[in-house]
Amino acid sequence: MRYIIGIGNYSMADDSIGLRLIETIADRGMNTDFEAIDLSDNGLNLFNYLSESTEKMLWVDCVKMGKRPGEFTVFSPELTESQKVLTQMTTHEGDMLKILTMARQAGYPIPPIRILGIEPEKLEPVFELSPILQSRFEEYLGEAIRQIRSTDW
Amino acid sequence: MAKDININVHHVTRVEGHGNILVNVSKGTIEKIEWQVPEAPRFFEAMIRGRHYSEVARIVSRICGICSVGHTLASVKASEDALGIQISEQSFKLRSLLKHAENYDSHIVHVLFLAAPDLLGAPSVFPLVPTHGEVVKCALRLKRFGHEWGSIIGGRTTHPTRVVPGGFTDVPTEQELRTLRKRITDEMLPDLNTALEVLLSLAGKFPKFERQTEYMALHSDKEYGLYDGVIQTVMPDGTKEKYKVSDYRKCTNEYVDRRSTAKWAKNKMGSYMAGALARVNNNFDQLHPEAKKVAGLLGMKPLCFNPYLNSVAQVVEVVHSVHEGLRLIDELLAAGIKREPLVKPTRFGSGTGAVEVPRGILYHHYSYDKDGMCTGGDCIIPTNENHANIQHDFEKLVPELLKADKSEKEMELALEMLVRAYDPCISCSTHYLDVKFTR
Repeated sequence: MRYIIGIGNYSMADDSIGLRLIETIADRGMNTDFEAIDLSDNGLNLFNYLSESTEKMLWVDCVKMGKRPGEFTVFSPELTESQKVLTQMTTHEGDMLKILTMARQAGYPIPPIRILGIEPEKLEPVFELSPILQSRFEEYLGEAIRQIRSTDW
Repeated sequence: MAKDININVHHVTRVEGHGNILVNVSKGTIEKIEWQVPEAPRFFEAMIRGRHYSEVARIVSRICGICSVGHTLASVKASEDALGIQISEQSFKLRSLLKHAENYDSHIVHVLFLAAPDLLGAPSVFPLVPTHGEVVKCALRLKRFGHEWGSIIGGRTTHPTRVVPGGFTDVPTEQELRTLRKRITDEMLPDLNTALEVLLSLAGKFPKFERQTEYMALHSDKEYGLYDGVIQTVMPDGTKEKYKVSDYRKCTNEYVDRRSTAKWAKNKMGSYMAGALARVNNNFDQLHPEAKKVAGLLGMKPLCFNPYLNSVAQVVEVVHSVHEGLRLIDELLAAGIKREPLVKPTRFGSGTGAVEVPRGILYHHYSYDKDGMCTGGDCIIPTNENHANIQHDFEKLVPELLKADKSEKEMELALEMLVRAYDPCISCSTHYLDVKFTR
């Protein structure tokens, strides 16, 4: 099985980009040859999709990586180091890269993973994407579909 | 000892700030103890105005990704109350089973991934993988099971798709329920017993602290209140009082405090506690016998006034939910699971729904016009109900820590652990990645 996984908080502006992309894929019925998963803020649920039968995974998330807002890149998690500091005050926060490291250490089968990372403009309590991310939404969607159907990885 | 203490746990990792802990002590004199919640309002109540009753639950489910089952259930219950809908016995049992799945899932994550590292002296669960690998793997299997359990009943665990006003759009098959039952007994219970052994070995490490307060929870004469019931409070002297769910405003009494942008709540005392400990204190007698047994092993009996033991109460509830889940599956199988048509509205008016989500009693209230369009809503969230109680806990705990001559670092940890015990739902938590490219 191939998965596109959206991660984020729907009510925190650009943090929701992955969830909105998953929603659009489902609304348009584009998930004919892969599954589109809304993981929301339940990062630990990633473990449900780590199995021998998982062919590959594309995560869609907003990523602070020093680019201009709205720019995106596709990368492998192995190429990065997490800079995120968790408060440890609540189960409502998360860091997918740390969860992936935990999965590796715990011996879970790790499929090929790529991240479609989109640089956010706004991370604040607003129920819509920033204008720049809205204007480029179809580009992100096209790239996600291209990546999941690619035979290059 | 007359010393200076300055604790300022301000979470710069997110944009709007989490709950902040502020303590200033100058030459042994306490100048400030504050639990600050600078969370921005999100206006869900405004967002649902003008929406059809069939859309409302899907929108408010987004209040929280962790408690989305609870928000969905509270929402459909409020809509059904407003629309004069009586759901079938099968729908009632399926929703109860789904509620157990959510509480089980959330409690497992909170106890094993957030609270347990404190007891093991680790900063988080991540460093425990190399040192306590088998326990972490066991915890991950238990967590995974919770997700699968919820998905079988609700269509999916996060933002369930099958639960709508009037019943369920689809139901699990008999085979799915039989498989779920077998997996609970064959796979999950052995793992749960392993986790319980670990937790029993750590039980003595919970901080010793007590403060008498009021505890609020759902209560049902039929069963341990989770999906349904009336509001009940228990006072420190053990006296109980019941309120109709429709009278929720009379016992929540929301108000604004300068330390918080989130509303606070109180009833007869200056604050009350909601959550697993409040439920156990209110409804201990109705716990499953296996859950009572575990409570005894962990030294928990009502009334328990130690908020740190909210995590222990969650463990007790995990055991309760697993065994009650088995009972509900058996009853559903015995009756024969079948698809049922959705029950239609019989009127349009106002209504209230309450359920117990992992962090406490949750209220939704809506009004609808004659076309079934929402004209107003009100949601009272357990994390907000607990803010005043956390503040009052701090005000008793800090002087005790000072008297025990704890260091600044020890005090900070004690206060953070206390907040963690409540597992506040920080609705504006973000999940973006923050990366540095290394290659």
